[in-house]
This record gives sequence, structure tokens and C-alpha cells, in this order.
Amino acid sequence: MSNRDLGSIARGIAGHWHGAPGSYRVGAIIMLLHFLLGLFGPLLAPYGYAAMGTSLPMEGFSWRHVLGTDALGRDVLSRVMYGAPTVLTLAFSGTALGFAIGTSLGLLCGYLQNWFDELVQRLCEALISIPFLVLALMAISAVGPELAGKPILIVLVVALVYAPRTARLARSAALEIVTRDFVTAAKLRGDPAWRVAWQELLPNATGPLFVEFSLRAGYAPVLVGALGFLGFGLHPPTPEWGLMISENRSLMFVAPLSVLGPGAFLASLVVGLNLFTEGLARMLGRSDVVVRA
Amino acid sequence: MDVALLIARRVVTSLATLLMVSAIIFAMVELLPGDAASRILGREATPENLQVLRERLHLDRPALVRYGIWLGDIVQGDLGTSLINGRPVAEVLEPRITNTLQLSLYALLLYLPMTLIPAIVQALRRGKPTDHGLSVLNLMLLSIPDFLLAAIFLIVFVVWIPIFPAKSSVPQGASMLELIRALTLPACTIAVAMAAYAVRMLRDNLIEVLESDYVRMAELKGLTRLQVLIMHALPNALVPTLNVTALNLAYLIGSVVVVERLFAFPGFGSLLVDALQLRDVPMVEAMVLIASAVYIAANLLADIGTILLNPRLRRA
Amino acid sequence: MSPKPVLAVDDFGFAYRQGRAWLEILHRVSFAIAPSEVLGLVGESGCGKSSIAYSLLGYRRANGATQSGTISLDGADLLALDRPALDRLRGRVVAMVPQNPATALNPARRVGAQVREVLTRHGMIRSRPEADRRCAELFSLVGLPEPGTIGRRYPHQLSGGQQQRVCIAMALAGEPKLLVLDEPTTGLDVTTQKQIVYLLRRLVATSDMAMLYVTHDLALLAQIADRVGVMYAGHLVEIGPTNEVLIRPAHPYTRGLLAALPDIRTGAQPMTELKGLLRRQDIPVGCPLYPRCPIAVPSCADNPQPLRPIATAHEVACQEYKGATATQAAMPQRSIPPARPTVTDTSPLVELRNLQLGYGAAVGLHRLLRSTPIQVIRQIDLVLNRGEVFALVGESGSGKSTIARSLAGLLAPLSGTIVFEGKPLPRSISRRTPDLRRRIQYIFQNPDESLNPRQTIFKILAQPLIRFFGRSGGALAPEIEQALRDVNLDPDYARRYPGQLSGGERQRVAIARALIAKPDLLICDEVLSALDVSVQASVLELLRDLQRRRGLALLFISHDLAVVRSLADRVGVLFKGELVTCDATEAVFRPPFHPYTQRLLDAVPDLHAAERRAAG
Repeated sequence: MSNRDLGSIARGIAGHWHGAPGSYRVGAIIMLLHFLLGLFGPLLAPYGYAAMGTSLPMEGFSWRHVLGTDALGRDVLSRVMYGAPTVLTLAFSGTALGFAIGTSLGLLCGYLQNWFDELVQRLCEALISIPFLVLALMAISAVGPELAGKPILIVLVVALVYAPRTARLARSAALEIVTRDFVTAAKLRGDPAWRVAWQELLPNATGPLFVEFSLRAGYAPVLVGALGFLGFGLHPPTPEWGLMISENRSLMFVAPLSVLGPGAFLASLVVGLNLFTEGLARMLGRSDVVVRA
Repeated sequence: MDVALLIARRVVTSLATLLMVSAIIFAMVELLPGDAASRILGREATPENLQVLRERLHLDRPALVRYGIWLGDIVQGDLGTSLINGRPVAEVLEPRITNTLQLSLYALLLYLPMTLIPAIVQALRRGKPTDHGLSVLNLMLLSIPDFLLAAIFLIVFVVWIPIFPAKSSVPQGASMLELIRALTLPACTIAVAMAAYAVRMLRDNLIEVLESDYVRMAELKGLTRLQVLIMHALPNALVPTLNVTALNLAYLIGSVVVVERLFAFPGFGSLLVDALQLRDVPMVEAMVLIASAVYIAANLLADIGTILLNPRLRRA
Repeated sequence: MSPKPVLAVDDFGFAYRQGRAWLEILHRVSFAIAPSEVLGLVGESGCGKSSIAYSLLGYRRANGATQSGTISLDGADLLALDRPALDRLRGRVVAMVPQNPATALNPARRVGAQVREVLTRHGMIRSRPEADRRCAELFSLVGLPEPGTIGRRYPHQLSGGQQQRVCIAMALAGEPKLLVLDEPTTGLDVTTQKQIVYLLRRLVATSDMAMLYVTHDLALLAQIADRVGVMYAGHLVEIGPTNEVLIRPAHPYTRGLLAALPDIRTGAQPMTELKGLLRRQDIPVGCPLYPRCPIAVPSCADNPQPLRPIATAHEVACQEYKGATATQAAMPQRSIPPARPTVTDTSPLVELRNLQLGYGAAVGLHRLLRSTPIQVIRQIDLVLNRGEVFALVGESGSGKSTIARSLAGLLAPLSGTIVFEGKPLPRSISRRTPDLRRRIQYIFQNPDESLNPRQTIFKILAQPLIRFFGRSGGALAPEIEQALRDVNLDPDYARRYPGQLSGGERQRVAIARALIAKPDLLICDEVLSALDVSVQASVLELLRDLQRRRGLALLFISHDLAVVRSLADRVGVLFKGELVTCDATEAVFRPPFHPYTQRLLDAVPDLHAAERRAAG
């Protein structure tokens, strides 16, 4: 019995894979590679991330230092590999937290459409009206020096930026679903609001919600990187990619790899996430008529 | 409903949002639990400094009163005084805003053709290899963070092919050409970052118009492809374009912050980052409020444009 | 000597690609239309009639391909033309009147401009004043008010009927030889529909334009078509003169369709002749109707069925057709239900007293900025008795759904009371006790939307049991299985998802869901309108049966007078928010008629119109 289930699950996944557009597959593969890098990077790195003086500083490409060395003689490639889990953890946790909050609020609002909805909507609108990078910087700065540089702060800030946006999307998804009669049927039964949101709305909004999560997760590394770049993220010597780009900025003309190295990894992660999102959106959102001629 | 009333409602809503934004800013900066003064001055602060700061910021007064004072000042045009150098915020901001405006305008000029041309081409050739190719290129550009993009531009156009200067600060009285030369790289960075998002949105909107029932009907009437495009498709795509551009303002403002830093451009964004790092409270509050106000205003204009262009609102 | 046909479709087959497989949409269809002739194409959803219509304009779906045959339009080989040649043909030689005029017109351009551009594009006028004049002529021809100035309006400023007239004018502008109409009156009121049909008949009579009229409404074709073609699953199964096909149908499918129509003249009940429903995967190589046909023999599944002539210009694709014997030719007599006993001495279940209903009543701050509420029901008094079927009829906008929603607790009345079993009913659903909620159940119009697609049928049917009776766990299954059996569904269906059921089956589940709560009152809000004709009959039969057996009170809302006549004990007719008639069914449907009832009845297409026309 369980063998049959496993078999059918495996076949289901294989079928799913076959039917997926190219972008989805490429994106998924890239994500998988980054995930593996995140798991095993620190184990496989040839040097420590804080090991100074492994070689002459500001060297370019060499076989010992594939991405060269930075101003302190640290191996850039090792630092990149050590930084991989950091980026992934921060980006995904922040997105997940923001997504969870935003979705619950948004679905409830879309269903209730009363004073609660109005209030939350105004709040979200105001939060969205503050350009997100500015909001993140302000939040980090406001929290003060004790928490600065702690990963949890970054996660909370990413969640703060994403929650209202996700709430807006969840709300509009809910608004569309609420018009369908099975929601009215639940209402007529006297189901409480949270139950309706959980049982009737959420399962029917998985399409746009998956895409939203994927989209936000795709930008999160950039946001985290931008914070690091501006000096508002984690503190040195943490090998966070955005921070590395900022630190090595002055070496750009002498040892461009020290900037382009972490940059390429960051960009490839985002490319993978975006491709995946794009493919996912196409699978879920568009109809099966692929427009040609 | 009357158009004027609709627009009035929209303006009121925007103002309400701005008010709420001001409350959020104030709450975040000044009202978090704990001692605001030591948060601002950091661990090395002396008790005397802390006391002076507490008086400056009226920290002994209740929160709402402080908020009221601040808001009242702002409405009357007093943006506060910088904690760092004691000069009025407005005075410090003025040259910076001017600089950033120049940069933004330049960026917008570059952004428009960068967005319109690929979006139209992609919509017309949807599904074909051209469309796919451009989509992939677009995705690549989208995925490169703007600070990285700026770094790449710098490396390519300053080191390898030295056309542009590395720093984009320009002394007073410089010629137009020098100004353009200095601003091009940062403006391009911003433009590309914005355009990458805008092209996708615009392409989708255009395709939606091209696949609508009335466009199909127009084809069935025997109109040629060009006629359909000009008479039916493009006019109806105008509204989405407006909205897309307004939405991108958020990216513009965010981009500006990062790009100015990288190019050492003395604008609004770099000042904001400095103020945040130094915890110059009045400066931060005023600047974030201004940034949000710009975004809200842009969205308001886009919405008004949508209302005016919507024929359903003509008198029935 | 018949003139050369305007259109000749010869052995045309069409399919489109879905994933890796090809889905056949049209299978070797052949027919021709002569000038001045109106050919009606009828069939249910998925039969391919719309695909033919669009193919005649050379419109190709993105991933579709011609599988066989040719289409010859005014001598030109349509399938071989390139885009510029097609552009010259469209609007000028063949024109289309679309199904949905609201979306077919560009909302941002004035209607006059949209008609004028046809004239300009095909070089039919030389100057703007000439274009304006011609446009006004066309508007006048199609019966639009103020033909000289209405062109300045935008589409949203016109009613549905007016929009459709604009589309007709737009189609006529090019003076085409063939007019293709794709369900042009779906979504329009019955009275508006009648006017449009009348207009089309006039146009045909006064020109030599040919017409292809695609619809699912057989009775409608009786009003306008010279010949009728019946389509099923992409095959043309019967074609012939209207009064032949509609009165003496030959093909089992045509007979099944006609049997499923309730007869408004006599109140005769519809019969279900065709078993089951259309499933693409069950269609054999031979006759597509084989799985459902009442007279099928095994060889039907293997032999392809071409159209064979059986009378003058009457062809049928059925090998079992045995000829026009007296017993088979005419449609069988149908039972007319006995006169319903006048319900006396039953206590009223629901009373609507002095009820006023409307939308948009704003509360609080919003009152300052919102517009005044729209009043839908002006003033209504109604009594619904236990165990009776009360039908509420009216056209769209009459307020019938509003009354239903108010009764259900979804809309608070502006004033007045609803009394249930002698006690006033709380206005909103949240204030009602669970028991009250249980006793009034609601069945929605659209079965695609009333079941949660992510829940199994079991889960859907369990909800009322859990909520109203507190059942749980093992006690659920036997009740759910019984509920499914009660609506003639296999209990095995409990494990399926709504997406795996057909429209009719889903509607049965919706009925089961309502009945499982053991209500006293069932509100049926246009529950048949979204279903195919052949399915309507079986669902109606089910409802009637269940109502009788359980003594349920039914508030049956519908715009279909024929159905109402065959089902209801009492009828209330709504017009613009007021009850203009409220009486026993037979009283309403016999003269003397209230003037509005008269109008409604007149607008209902009569199946025998063709016969009468042919007779003179």
C-alpha cells in the first residue's frame, strides 16, 4: 500500500517536472545548487572566512584563489561560500515571516470587509508608501545599537517590508474568491471568519500566493544585500555578500573579482529564484493556450 | 459619480495616508520602548549630552504631544534642526534635493524608451523567439541588484573603456556637458533597474489589451494589424502604463539611495543614509516623510490620470 | 434551380493542441448556405458550434490546426488566405455579431467611431459627413433611438440590447454576404431577445444576405431559421428545414433535446431520453452519441455515421433511422400534470411584510462620501406556505435574487419584516440561531462556483452535518452516502473533487448539501440556468421528486416561464421591484393575463412557430 503511494508520488513529481516550462526547471536547478552551497559551503571552503593573510592582498585570479583575495588577504571564494547559508537563511526566514503575517491579515480582511479591513488597509497602505529600502533602514536605525548587526533584526525588518505587500495581494485574492458562492454557503452555515479564511479562502488562493512568495523570496537576497552594502546589515567580518561588495568597493579597479565574485553569486541566486517564479506563474496563472502567431 | 468628487475623494485618501505615514515614522523613530536619547547617542554618551538631547526632543512630554508638536512644525514649513550640525533641515536639504532631482529626471528620460520599446516589441511578438529572448534578458537585468549593476558599470565604463568619471559629484558652475557626463552612469543604473520591472508589467498589460474581446472584434471587422494597434490597443494601454510608472517610483527612490552612495553623488539618498547612521532624528523624520510624500503624490497623479482617462465616468 | 451558395463548408475538421494531445473540435462537417437563407446551428456546450462560427471568419486559435476539408466563402478558399486577404474579406464579405456585445465594443471609443471605421477601412465612403450619414442610416435600420446622435455615446452608456444593435449595425456596415451570429441574444432579457430576433428577420427579408445563427436555444431557431443543423460533440448529426427538424426530428439526439424542453403552452413536463452525459473519453470511432443513445446497437460504435438524405434537403447521420413511420416521426405525447390541488389549510411558513430592499446603504463616515442607496424592491408582501412550490419570475433587475438573498440573511432589508413560522426573522445571518440557519437552505445558480474546488464531495457534504447536527467521525459516512443516493448519484462520488464532476452532477451535490440539513424551506436561485438543456430536465425531475416526498417548501426563482409552469404551485411575477401578479400557476398562465405577464409570455419563443409560418 505504501509502496503504491510512494510510486504514485514519484510519478506525480516526474509528471509535474515534465509539464513545467523551461524557466521553471532552470530556476529550480539553480536554486537547488544554491541550497547545496548553503548546506555544504562552509564545509568545502578551502580557507576560513576570517583567515587573513592567506596570500598577498588584492590579488586577482589564481588557481589557489579562484576569486582572488581582498584587502586583508582573505580568500574571496571561501568567504563567498561561508556567506551562502547566511544569505539563504536571512532571505527565506524574513520572507516566510512576512508572508505568514501578511497572508493571514490579507485573507481575513478580504473576507470581513468591515472596519477591521479598513484599518489594516490604511496601515498597509501607509507602510507601502514608505519606499521599502528607506523603511528598512529606518527600522534598523530606530531599533538602536544593541540589536544592530544581529541576524534576527534583519529577519524582522524583511518581514516588516514584505508583510503589508503580501497582505495587499492576499486581500485581493480573497476579494475575488469571496464572490464565489461556496464562500456564501459557508457564511450561511454560520462558519466563523477565521474558519472561512482557513478552509475556503486559503486553499483556493494557493496559486497567486505561491507566486507571491516566490517573487518576494526572489527579491529578499537583494534587500538583504542592499542593507549589507549600506552598512546596515550584519557586521564585519561576517562574509555577507552585500557587505563584501561594499567592503571591496574601493578595490574595484584593482581587483574587480572581489566585487564581481560575490556579486555574481548573489545575482545567480536571484536569477534562479526569478526564473522559478516566472515558470511557476506560467504554470499556475495562465491558461493552457500558449499564444503563438 | 461626478469626476470632481471622485478626485476629491482620492486626494483626501492620499492625505490620510500621508498622515498615517507621519505617525508611523514618528512612532518608529521616537517611540520605541527604551530610552530614546541613549539609543540615539549610543553607548558613549555622557549624562550631560543625554540630558541636553532629552530637552531638545521634548522627551519629557507625552508621546502624542510630541507628535503634535512635530507635525505642527512640519505643516508650517519648519522641518526641524539637524542634531549633527545644528543647521535647519530645510537648508541642508535644498541643494541635495536639487541634485537628486536632476539625476532622477535624467534617469526618467532614459527609462522611458528603455521601457516602451522592448515592451511594445515583446507584446507584438508575444510567444515568438524575440519575446522569449527579451524576457530572458529582462530577467537577468532584473536579478542584478542595483548596487552590483552600478559596480559593473563602473568597472566597464571607467576602467576598461574610460568614458565616464568615477565620482559623480560636479562642482558648481560646471558646464552642461560635464554634468551629463558625470550623471550618466548613475542615471543609467537607475533607469535600467526601473525599466527591468516596468517592461514586464507593461508587456503583460499590453498583451491583456491585445487579447481582449474588443481587439478581437476589431480584427474580425477586417482592420489591419497596424490599424488595430493604433486605434484600439495603444490608447487602452495608456492607463496601465501610467500606473506602472507610478509604481516604479518606489524603486526609483530606493535605487537613488544605493546608487548615490556608490557614485559618491551628493544627493538626497546619500544624505539620508548618513542621517540614519548618525541617528540625526529630525533629519531622518523629515527626509523619510518627504520620500513617502513623493511616492504618494506620484500614485495620486497616476490615479487622477486613470480617472480622467476613463470614459465610463463621462456624464451618462 | 438553387443559386450558387454563399458558403460551402466541405468535410471541414478542426482540432487544437492541448499539451501533447490533439483535441478534436470539429469532425468532418459539411453544409452550405444559399443567399437569403438563414441556417441555424444548434447544440449544447462543447458541440463545436462557436468554433465553426469563428472559422468562417478565418479566425484561428493559436494552437489549432485544420484536420481536413475546405471552406469556400463567396468562391474564395478561406483556409488558404493570408492575413491581408482575410482582412479584406472580414467585415466586407462575412461579418460577425458577437455573443457578448459589452466586451466586443471598445469601452474607450464612441460607438459611432467603431461603426465608421468599418466603412473607412473597406473604402466604402469618401468623406466624414458621408460616413456619419451612413452610420445614422445603419443605426436607424437596427432600431436604435436618436440614430443621428447616439453615435456619440460610449458603450457603457447603452443598454445590453442597444449594444447588441450597435454590433449588428457594425456588422451590416460592410454589406456582407454572410452574417454569422454567435449566440447573439444570450445574456439579454427575453423581451429584448424577441426584439432583436424580429429585427434580424426584417433584415433577412429585405436583402439577399445569408445568415448563420448559432445558438443553444431550439425554440429560438423556430422564429428565424429556414434550416436547422444539429451538432453534437463536433459532429453535424442532422440538418434540414426548420419545421421538419423541430417537429419531426430524425436523429435520436435531436429528439432527446426536444423532449427535454418543458412546454409552456401546456405545462407538459420534460422527459429525459438521453442517458448520462457527454464524456469525451467515451466517444467511440463511430457515432458520438453511442454511449447515451436510446436506440443504439453495437455496430453504431464502429461505423462512422455520414449524413444521409432521408427527405428533401433533410439529412441525418444515424444508421438506425428507420424512415418516417407514423409511430416514430412525431414526438411522443407527453404527460400533462394533473391540475394541482389548490393548497388550502396550510399554515404560512414565510411572510414578507412591507419589505423594501436595496443596496449601498452606507454606515457612518462613509455616508458623507457615498452615493444614495439603490432601491431594488419597492414594497412587497408575500406569503409562502408550508410544502408549496412558489415560483418568483421576472427579468433581470426585477429583484428576484434580492428577495432570495434577503430571506437567506445576506442582505438586511431597508425596512419591513420577514416572518418565519410566526416569529420575526433576524435580519442578518450572524444574528440567527444555528437552527434557523439550518431550516432555510440556499441553492445557487452556478454549480461551478457553489462548491469549493479544493474539498472532496465528502467534506463538502460533511460541513452541514458537523455544523448543524454536531456529527463527527464515523457517523458522517453513512449519512453522506445516503444523501448522494437521494440525488441519484453513486455514493462513490464522495471521494471525488468537484472538478471531476459534470455541471449537472455538481448541481445535484449542491442539492444534496442543502437537503442534508433537513430544511423546511429551500431557496432555489436560478438553479437550472447554468445547465445544458438535456441536463436541466433531469435536475428538474429530481427537484420535483424530492420536494414532493419531503414536503419541502420551495422558493423557486427563475426567468424561464416554461420550467415554472411545469413545477410551481403558485407564481409571483416581479416587474421593477414590485409584485404585479401573485396567484396559482394555472391562473397566471391562463387568460386573462396581466399585461406584463402577457409581454413575458409573448416573448417566449414558440417551437411551433416555424410550422405555422410554413402553413401560411
